[in-house]
Amino acid sequence: MEMPGVYTSDDLFDSILLADEKFRGEGFHEGFERGTRRGLQDGRRHGASHGAKLSSEISFYHGFAIAWKCLLQESTDDKSRKRVKALDTLLGLIQNSNLEDPQSVKLQDETEKLRAKFRQVCSMLNIPTDFRDYIKVTEGTSF
Amino acid sequence: MSWVKSASLNSEDVFDENADELKLQSKEWTSNMKKRVKDGYVDGVDAGQEASLQAGFNLGFKEGAAQTVAVGRLRGILGAVWCWCQIQHPEKPVPTSVTDLLQRVTEHESQIMEDIRRALENPPPSVSDISESMDALEVEQEDPCHCKDGGNGPCCSKRDENMDVDNPIKDQTICSGSISCSSSSGESLNLLLQHCVDLVSELGLPQELIDHINELRSINQPH
Repeated sequence: MEMPGVYTSDDLFDSILLADEKFRGEGFHEGFERGTRRGLQDGRRHGASHGAKLSSEISFYHGFAIAWKCLLQESTDDKSRKRVKALDTLLGLIQNSNLEDPQSVKLQDETEKLRAKFRQVCSMLNIPTDFRDYIKVTEGTSF
Repeated sequence: MSWVKSASLNSEDVFDENADELKLQSKEWTSNMKKRVKDGYVDGVDAGQEASLQAGFNLGFKEGAAQTVAVGRLRGILGAVWCWCQIQHPEKPVPTSVTDLLQRVTEHESQIMEDIRRALENPPPSVSDISESMDALEVEQEDPCHCKDGGNGPCCSKRDENMDVDNPIKDQTICSGSISCSSSSGESLNLLLQHCVDLVSELGLPQELIDHINELRSINQPH
């Protein structure tokens, strides 16, 4: 590390500043690389938990709706047809939901719509209270 | 000579003092520049983290979501079966076979969530993390060798050591682009699926439902 040579006091000052910035810059660069790795890892961890949770909820609605459609397929009365229609709407909403972009505002809207539809379906199906409690605990939504 | 005398009067011991003064200034300079590097480093870490956090989140989100699709759907199917039993026969309790299987599936899913949290959360701090903290505390080490071309000095091998310790963690977190998940959870999902198929058959429920359950086997499972 060289001492700056004897110049005018302005030159001296400049070269000190330059050296200062140079070392700071090198440190910054190295730190940036490490910070990037860490940020990626931290972000990934949080994202994974959130993604798993939301996907679990939506997949639950999906399985629930598909199963009920199967169970109602024999019934042809009005009530059952209305229920199947509601189930189809729910399934349509599920299929259109896109978990690719967690930041999208659309995703939040879609999820809320989905939940509302699911609650409606449960009402129509006369889902027992016990099960609604189960859903409250596992999906975190309440009726 | 008078100039020597007057010079001596200005500073105690002119010649020695000058030499020491220079040495001191040089040390101070070095120490200041080292501090600049460290300050820059800390700022760099912060900036890097902020820049990559969202990207990491988006990536992890997709990965995590993929892991719960099959088990979530199975839970939904079983939930529907449970409700069906309750509604069809309100006078009887729901068969324990149904309740038990639903519980097992719920637990299986919780395990997956737990594995996800653990996989990315608990690599113990790597040696390089620790040495970085030590740097921040200014614990004296050998001058970090910024080897551009992986040299052969002792500090380079120390660096390699750090990287070796890092690597298993890297592998764990970035293994072929997906979050690593124990293969045993993959096997037990198949077992749960099979039990569900058996249960649905026993209850005399529609074949189409059994087909849907079997479809879950082929949903992309992490290894």
